[in-house]
Amino acid sequence: MLRATLRGLVARKLRLLLASFAVLLGISFVSGAFILTDSLSKVFDNLFATINAGTAVTVQGVSAFNSNSPDTTDREPVKQAVLDRVRAVDGVASAIGNVGQPVTLILPNGKAFTKAGPPVLGLSYQDGDPQESLRIVRGTAPVGPAQALVDANTADKQHLAVGAKIGVIGNGTRQDATIVGIVRFGPTNSLAGATLLGFDPPSAQKIFGIPGSWDNLTIAAAPGVSDATLRDRIAAVLPPKVEAITAAQSTKQDAGQIKQGLGFFNTVLQVFAGVALFVGMFLIFNTFSMLVAQRSRELALLRAIGASRSQVNRSVLLESLAVGLVSSVGGFAAGVGLAAGFRGLLNALGLEIPAGETVIRLRTFVVCLVVGVTVTVVAALVPARRASRVAPVQAMRESGPAEDRSLRRRTTVGVVLLALGTAALISGLSNGSLPLIGLGAVVSFLGVTVVSPVFARPVVGALALPFAKLGVSGRLGRGNAMRSPRRTATTAAALMIGLALVAAISTLGASAKKSVVDTVATSFGADYVLHTSQFQPFSPVVATNLEKLPQLSSVAAFTQGMANVGSAGLSSLQGVDPKQLQTVLKLKVLSGNLDGLGEHQLALSKQEASNLKVKVGATVPVTWAKTGTQSYTIGAIYDINQFAGGYLVTAADYAKNVTGSKDIVVAIKGSPDATPKAARAAIETAVAGFPQIQIEDQAEFVRKQGQQIDQLLNIITGLLVLSVLIAVLGIINTLALSVVERTRELGLLRAVGLQRRQLKRMIRVESVVIALFGALLGVVVGIGFGYAFVSALHDQGITQFAIPTGRIFAVLLAAAFGGVIAAALPARRAARLKVLDAISHA
Amino acid sequence: MTLPSAFGMVAGMTTAVRATDVRKSYGKGDTAVTALAGVSIDVEANAMTAVMGPSGSGKSTLMHCLAGLDTIDSGAIEIGGTSVVGMNDKQLTALRRDRVGFVFQQYNLLPTLTAGENITLPLDIAGKKIDQAWYDEVVAAVGLGDRLKHRPAELSGGQQQRVACARALVTRPDVVFADEPTGNLDSRSGAEVLSFLQHSARELGQTVVIVTHDPNAASYAGRVVFLADGLLVDDMADPTAQKVLDRMKAFEGVL
Repeated sequence: MLRATLRGLVARKLRLLLASFAVLLGISFVSGAFILTDSLSKVFDNLFATINAGTAVTVQGVSAFNSNSPDTTDREPVKQAVLDRVRAVDGVASAIGNVGQPVTLILPNGKAFTKAGPPVLGLSYQDGDPQESLRIVRGTAPVGPAQALVDANTADKQHLAVGAKIGVIGNGTRQDATIVGIVRFGPTNSLAGATLLGFDPPSAQKIFGIPGSWDNLTIAAAPGVSDATLRDRIAAVLPPKVEAITAAQSTKQDAGQIKQGLGFFNTVLQVFAGVALFVGMFLIFNTFSMLVAQRSRELALLRAIGASRSQVNRSVLLESLAVGLVSSVGGFAAGVGLAAGFRGLLNALGLEIPAGETVIRLRTFVVCLVVGVTVTVVAALVPARRASRVAPVQAMRESGPAEDRSLRRRTTVGVVLLALGTAALISGLSNGSLPLIGLGAVVSFLGVTVVSPVFARPVVGALALPFAKLGVSGRLGRGNAMRSPRRTATTAAALMIGLALVAAISTLGASAKKSVVDTVATSFGADYVLHTSQFQPFSPVVATNLEKLPQLSSVAAFTQGMANVGSAGLSSLQGVDPKQLQTVLKLKVLSGNLDGLGEHQLALSKQEASNLKVKVGATVPVTWAKTGTQSYTIGAIYDINQFAGGYLVTAADYAKNVTGSKDIVVAIKGSPDATPKAARAAIETAVAGFPQIQIEDQAEFVRKQGQQIDQLLNIITGLLVLSVLIAVLGIINTLALSVVERTRELGLLRAVGLQRRQLKRMIRVESVVIALFGALLGVVVGIGFGYAFVSALHDQGITQFAIPTGRIFAVLLAAAFGGVIAAALPARRAARLKVLDAISHA
Repeated sequence: MTLPSAFGMVAGMTTAVRATDVRKSYGKGDTAVTALAGVSIDVEANAMTAVMGPSGSGKSTLMHCLAGLDTIDSGAIEIGGTSVVGMNDKQLTALRRDRVGFVFQQYNLLPTLTAGENITLPLDIAGKKIDQAWYDEVVAAVGLGDRLKHRPAELSGGQQQRVACARALVTRPDVVFADEPTGNLDSRSGAEVLSFLQHSARELGQTVVIVTHDPNAASYAGRVVFLADGLLVDDMADPTAQKVLDRMKAFEGVL
């Protein structure tokens, strides 16, 4: 029996090729994602290990929120006095202070450098210190705030040579500087694409508004003193809220943040690989079903000569096992290339990835193998069972593949699955459980797939009607698409999945956009909004300057920061003047008094109030990074508003609790006495010194928000293209197998006078109709999912539901085009058949 | 034998298909097999001609070549006065569509189309209008009036072949080729199909060529030509089953 299976495999290798290619593509994504993230995390481990090579111990402020990141936002600076004390500790060979924070770079053309992605960092440069990680490759060390270093990567891309004039905005006003040197970060041109600007230490402290303080200290050990020993000795002399960690710990901390990002990246890729594999399963299922149907006489013969049911079943499963093995191994290998491709893509996106070895772990291979084989065998389970049910007597019968029998059971099963899936999806959405949402989506897709053959015939018939009106090829193609609803439906279902996800995400995006427009229209009263491109904080001087302008009637400056709020944990708080706020925002106050919000008082949204189970007058502990835990009274509760967010405190209160309060958005209302033109001109003059700030009126603001949503949509759609591609392979496979199955029919058509061109058109019509059916299913299911998402996100501010007609239309058009592409090969093959051979085809 | 040159000499006869010294072999070099070794034949219009011969005699190849389904090595073939040799695929396809009708041994109908749609298929392909009077006449002659809405799977083998015959006739072709049209049928169904072909030649004025190895089937024709080893070896007018059978037995004696 094994021999018969293997012989059969070889005989059908071409037909199985496309099916295994689908699994291969999916697995290559799994493999590529693992290899990429493994390699990158090794690269960054090495990089930080090199950088920290001379350092034994790092001293930094204790993280207020126990975030394991070197970020300065929740760590207080370390005073110069601490550095002096550390230097005196026995076993310290040398100790230096470092400064490193995000800054705004102003290019020689006067424009702010606003690139999405890696940050712009301002760093202190300790000339001549062996622990310094910046290495000057051209020019000299900077002296004074008017001299700066820039990393080689940025220098290259932005054409910043030594002598170029730039501006830097840290905490406060603009500092003009001349580039005096080009640096590398350790052994690389840049730190993962970040732009690095170096200053001498006192200038760096000044730029960030922390004179006499450091973001951290790095300490080298004297010979014979272990890192841990030195850490303990240093820890003993540190004041409260300052900690010492060993180099190993700080490498882990530094690399940790990047690895976290990589982990997220890996997860995203794996999700898309999962979608692709799910689609691939449909292809496997369909291929094996068709092969089993075509081979029913052969299988019946095997049964007639004494093979048992389980032997037949096993032989099909063995076949799928072989396909799974081959495609897993192939996919794993293809992943190595894909990882290199991803890496190139990251570099092209500006995330400068240092060179490094490709890390292929055994885990990657095992996962690929297990996933690939499981997916293939599971998809072949039903066809294998069907094969084992072929009765021996069928060997004697002259008949083609049997058509589907009862559709009633199918309807019941499908509807039950669909109901279960929808229920899981809704419950997953309501309690934010991603696995439950995924499971719900998968089960819903299966439900639709199971039930779709029931209505495939009429729907496909209707879709194909315009083609049928055009001529005989259309009529014949329509008939072929309708003749086997189960096959048409399963093939279409594979396409449905990818397109449903595209439609769902697009619906969500369109709804979000409409919600923004709606929110702006109903609750946003500001004429102008000021912010930087990535919503980076900027100096409060901007708002102070604007407040003086007679052309403006109100200026609301929003600050934003993190604090622990009672049982809600780490949350985002906004600090803003409540009176100004209400002139630019139509905020509905449900209870309490927002105008009278005072010190140690908190206003919160209806949603957060119900989360915390508090009413006006209750008290909540709030923990700030700088000032620690304090008791706040609930002063007001307001209706959900995207711009107000979850929590509000007064600007004054906020400023007291953070170091160097900065604004993130300034919303402005023009004076009724000034023309909009005059108001805008006045604003432009007032912020001229801050080229990173964008001025947007309401319409521009709305449009920008829409653009961001579109960008995200495009990325997700791009990643889903893989699954759509696999579905197109599925159509090719189905058509190719149908061409084989209908060889004699094709021969007859050619004999009675169908031209090759007409034959090709006939197959194209069938293909396009299958694709359109899949797209239609996808669009309907996707809009349904989108509606579920939107309902679930109502409290997050997506209050409107919109159907993205443009995108939906594009999806349908793309599907039809995909159908045309899919038909090319099978049609060519069919047209090449020799009439006589085809007619006498056994 | 002097017969070939005499075949076209019957007085007053119009020729529907004319083959002149048609040669055809398969394979190359030592393994080459000669299927047709120089066949010349004039097929009389508005009559039924049967091509007979033992298997391997080249009768199917001859039919395929005459119908433009297969190419020839040398010689000439005309259908309705048009030379078939040298036509490209597109021209041949149009020829088959407009001027030739086919009935195969089996698998004549598209399962997705009804009987009626199968009959009009060549017209559909050509984008031509149905000549309703002719269509009605053909359908009436095959006796399928009440079955036109049925799919092939719902018809008996004999009915399917009669639908195929109607399809072959519906375009009023220059010639209908039937390749063993009764090979898969029981004798009663076979007789029905053959009677219909005979009727279409005699009453409807169609030219019909049937290829068969069944003397009884050949007896429905007005003329029988015999093929052996790729050559025309005999020609018989007004055959009966017995005469044809005797002739065939003579061949076997010779061979």
